Amino acid sequence: MTAMTTPPQKCGCPDYSMSRRAFLGRLGAVGALAGLTSTGLSTQMAFGAGPYTGDVLVVLSLRGGFDGLNTIVPTGDPRYTEVRPSIRIPQGALLPLDEMFGLHPAMAPLMPWWNSGDFAAVQAVGMANQTRSHFEAMEEMERAAPGSSLRTGWLDRTLGLRDTGSAFQAVQIGSSMAASAFRGPSPELAMRSIDDFDLSGAWDATERRRWSDALTGLHAGAPPMVATPAATTLGALAGAAAMQDAGYTPDADYPNSDLGRAMRDVARVIKSDVGLQVAAVDYGDWDMHTDMGTVNSGWLTDKLSELARSLAAFATDLGAKFGDVTVVTLTEFGRSLVENGSGGVDHGHGQAVLLLGGGVNGGQVHGTWPTLERDALAGGDLAGTTDYRQILAEILEKRCQGSSSVFPDLTSDRLGVVRARG
Amino acid sequence: MSVASITAGPAAAAGAGNGAVFVSGDLTLHLLRRATFGPTPALRKAVKKQGRAAWLNKQLSPSSIDDSVCDRLIRDRFPHVNWTIPQARDGLEPFSWDLMYDVSMATIARATWSKRQLFEVMCEFWSNHLNVTNPSDRVWDNRQDYDRRVIRKHALGRFEDMLIASATHPAMLLYLNNADSTKDNPNENYGRELLELHTVSVNGGYNEQDMRNSTLIMTGFGVNWRHGTFQYSGRDHYRGPVSVMGFSHPNPDADGYSMGIKYLKYLANHPSTAHHLAYKLCERFVSDSPDAALVDRLAATYLAKGTAIAPVLRQLFNSDEFAGSLGEKTRRPLEDLVATLRVLDYKPDRKGRQGMQALVWISEGLGQQPLAWSPPDGYPDVALSWQSAGGTLARWNTHLSLAAHWWPQELRQPPLVELLPRRLPKTHGALVDALSKRLVFRTLAAPHKQAVLGFLGRSASDPLDSGDEAVRWRLPYLVALILDSPYHCVR
Repeated sequence: MTAMTTPPQKCGCPDYSMSRRAFLGRLGAVGALAGLTSTGLSTQMAFGAGPYTGDVLVVLSLRGGFDGLNTIVPTGDPRYTEVRPSIRIPQGALLPLDEMFGLHPAMAPLMPWWNSGDFAAVQAVGMANQTRSHFEAMEEMERAAPGSSLRTGWLDRTLGLRDTGSAFQAVQIGSSMAASAFRGPSPELAMRSIDDFDLSGAWDATERRRWSDALTGLHAGAPPMVATPAATTLGALAGAAAMQDAGYTPDADYPNSDLGRAMRDVARVIKSDVGLQVAAVDYGDWDMHTDMGTVNSGWLTDKLSELARSLAAFATDLGAKFGDVTVVTLTEFGRSLVENGSGGVDHGHGQAVLLLGGGVNGGQVHGTWPTLERDALAGGDLAGTTDYRQILAEILEKRCQGSSSVFPDLTSDRLGVVRARG
Repeated sequence: MSVASITAGPAAAAGAGNGAVFVSGDLTLHLLRRATFGPTPALRKAVKKQGRAAWLNKQLSPSSIDDSVCDRLIRDRFPHVNWTIPQARDGLEPFSWDLMYDVSMATIARATWSKRQLFEVMCEFWSNHLNVTNPSDRVWDNRQDYDRRVIRKHALGRFEDMLIASATHPAMLLYLNNADSTKDNPNENYGRELLELHTVSVNGGYNEQDMRNSTLIMTGFGVNWRHGTFQYSGRDHYRGPVSVMGFSHPNPDADGYSMGIKYLKYLANHPSTAHHLAYKLCERFVSDSPDAALVDRLAATYLAKGTAIAPVLRQLFNSDEFAGSLGEKTRRPLEDLVATLRVLDYKPDRKGRQGMQALVWISEGLGQQPLAWSPPDGYPDVALSWQSAGGTLARWNTHLSLAAHWWPQELRQPPLVELLPRRLPKTHGALVDALSKRLVFRTLAAPHKQAVLGFLGRSASDPLDSGDEAVRWRLPYLVALILDSPYHCVR
C-alpha cells in the first residue's frame, strides 16, 4: 500500500497516455529476468539510471517489543541481577562478548559470525518518541521523522532516492501487507512467499500464458493509472513464476518456521539476481508480559533460538553474496527493566539492535552503555543513548548508496557499525 | 473529455489511454459508479425509472429510504456497534479488540447491502477525513461510539457539527493525544492535525505560532480516565491571550470550553476549510485532479449554507464537470471488493457472520481494510497511490475467489449461470458481449473483446452450446477475467 504526497497528473490527456508499446516496454522492464515475460521483451532497466550496486538491506522487525536486556545481557552491570531476580540469564550460562555483555546461549548459532567479525549488536538504542504504545511506537519508528509532518516511511524515502528498478527492488516477505516503513509512492512488492505469489486461475505454464496474454490485451489503451499496475503485476508474476519453475535448494538448513521460510525466500530472491535492494521481514510475538521462561527453555529461549538458527542459515545459504547483504533488526521498544509479578517484562524503552552482514564491524557491542543506575534510566527503563536512525543512516550511507536525507534533522553522529563498500 | 465524445466509439478512442473508453457513457451509470459502492442491474433499472434527480434527492435524505433489511442485519449480527462507551466497558474484557472488529465488519456489510448508498460512501469519506484508526490500542471501548455519534450522525449534516463532535469525543482526543495535552506539557498532535488535516489544510495560511496556539486553545478537552468518556478539565487548560489565523481570545478563564467551541466553529467556517473540503469531495467524486472552478463554486456553497454538506453534493453531482469526468476515477481496493460483491449479487451469511468476517480479512489482504489506515490522514484517494503489484494481484485473485465462490463460502451467491441471459447466446462472441453487459454494463471494445476470446481459444463466430467450457467449468474464470479488466477498475 502506498500513499502519495504529490498531486497526481490528470489522466485522459494524450501526452499522458500509455501506448501498447509503452505498456509492453514497462512489462519487460519490470520483469528483469532474462526471457521471463511471455512477450519475450527486453529486460533492460527502463529509466536510464545505472543499476543499483549497493548492499541488499534486510530489515527484520521483531514486533511486540524485543527484550534486548536478556539477549545482549549486561551481566557486568551490578543492577541487572537485582532487577530481574527470577528471569535473569545467569552469568555462567552466557556466551561472553566483552567485559560488560554476554550473549544469551540460544543465540549460539550466530557465534561463528561474531568471531569472524560479521555479527554485531548495538545496545541502549532509543528514539525521540518514548511512547510505550506498540501501535504508536511502530508508526513513529517506521516513519522515522520525529518533529516533521512527513507521512511516508523511511524505506519508501530510501527507495525514492533512486530511479524505480525491477518489480523485485523492494519486497516484504512473509506477509501480504507491506510494513509502514514502505508507506509512500515508491513501489514495493508484498508477498507471503515466492511460491504463494501466483494468479490463482493460472495453474500451469499454459494457463499462465493464457492469463498473461488476455490481461495484457485487456489493458491495451488503458490510462497509466490502470495500465501501469497491471504491467508491474504481470512482470512480478513472471519473475515469481521463473523462480518457482527453477525451484530452490538452499545451501543451508533453515528452521521449518515462518521466519525460516521467510529468510529462505529472501536468500532465494537475492541469489536469483532480480534486482532486490530492500527486503523486509516481520518476526512477531515478542510481547512477553508473562512467563518468558528460563535460560534453558520457554518463550524467550525458543524465540531467540529460532531467530539465531534462521539468521545463521541465511548467512550460510548466501555464500559469496553474504558480502553484499546487511541485516538489521528493529523493534518498537525494549522491555521494562524490572520484571513484573508474572515472570515477564512490560513495555520499556531502550532496545538492542542486531547487525549481520559482510560489511558489519562485528565482534563487538556498539553504543554507549548508560548503566542501569536509577538516575540513568528513562521512565524507569533502559535509556536510549543512540538514536536508531544513526545506525540506519550509517548503513544507507556506507552500504546502500543512500543518504541521511531520509531522516530529517538527524545529527551527523555515527557509531561505525559498518564499513564502506569497497 | 466531453460526454458526447464518449459515444464516438471505443475503437476510435482505444489508443488514447483514456479511462472514458472503458466505461459506459450512460449518465445514470456514471452517477451510480461514483455515488454508490457499485451499480447493479436492479439499481440501474430503478434509477432509470425514478430519474437521476429524484434518486439523488432521496439519497441525500437517507432517513427517507427504507433500509430495514440492512438495519436488521446490523442489529442482529453486530448489536454491539450500538453500545455506548460505558456499555462497552461493562461488556468487554479490558482492551479487547472484539468490538473494533465488529465495527469493521459492519462497515463492509453496510457498504455492500445498505440502500442508503451515498450515505455509506460519505461515511467512508468522513471516516478517512477525521481518521481514528480502527482497530488501534486506545479506542477499544469508544470507536463504535465515534462511528455512530460523530461520523454517521453528521455524514450528510453540517461539517461544523461533525468537527465539534469529533473534538469532544474520546476516540479522537486519545488517538491524537489531546487527552495527554496540558498547559504545562502541551502535546501538539491534535492541535496541528486539527488545522492541517481536519480544517484549513497545510496551505491554509497558518504558521507554527498559530499551530502552538491551536494546541493551547484545545488544552482541557480530554477524557475521564475512570469512565473513558469525554471530560473538560479546566485544571489542564492554558490561560492567556491566544490567536490563530484571525481568531483571537483573551482566554482569561480556566474554563476554556466555550472558547474552544467558538474556535472550532471559526475553523469549520473558514474559507480555507471550505476550499479544502470542496477539493477533497471533488477528488472523491469527480477526478484525481479536480477542476479549480468547480472547487471554488462548491466552497462558496459550503460557506453560504452554513457548512451543510448535502447542498454541496447536490451541486457537485449536477455540475458539468461531473458529467464530463467519465473514466477519470478508479476503484480503490475496498471499492473494488464491494462493487464485485454487489454486481455478483452476493448476500450476507444465512446466519452468523463468518462470511462477513472473511470480507474484513480479504480487505486487509487487498490493503484497504475499512477504517484501518494508520496515520491520521486517512486512506489516499487518488489512483497513483494504489499501484502496487501485490495489491493488484490480490484484486485479481479476489475476483476469481468470489466468482467461483471459493471463499467466503458462508456468504450466499446465486448460481453463476444466472449472470447469463436465459436464452444462451448463439456464439462465443455473443457470450462475451452478454457477460460484459451484465458485469461492466457495456460491451468491450473490439481489441479487448478479442483478448477475452483469445482467453477462451475461440473466435467470435464460433457457435456456443451449453456443454462448452466457457459456460461450464471455465465460467468463473471468464467472469473474473472481465472483472480484472479496466472496465471494472475504472469508476
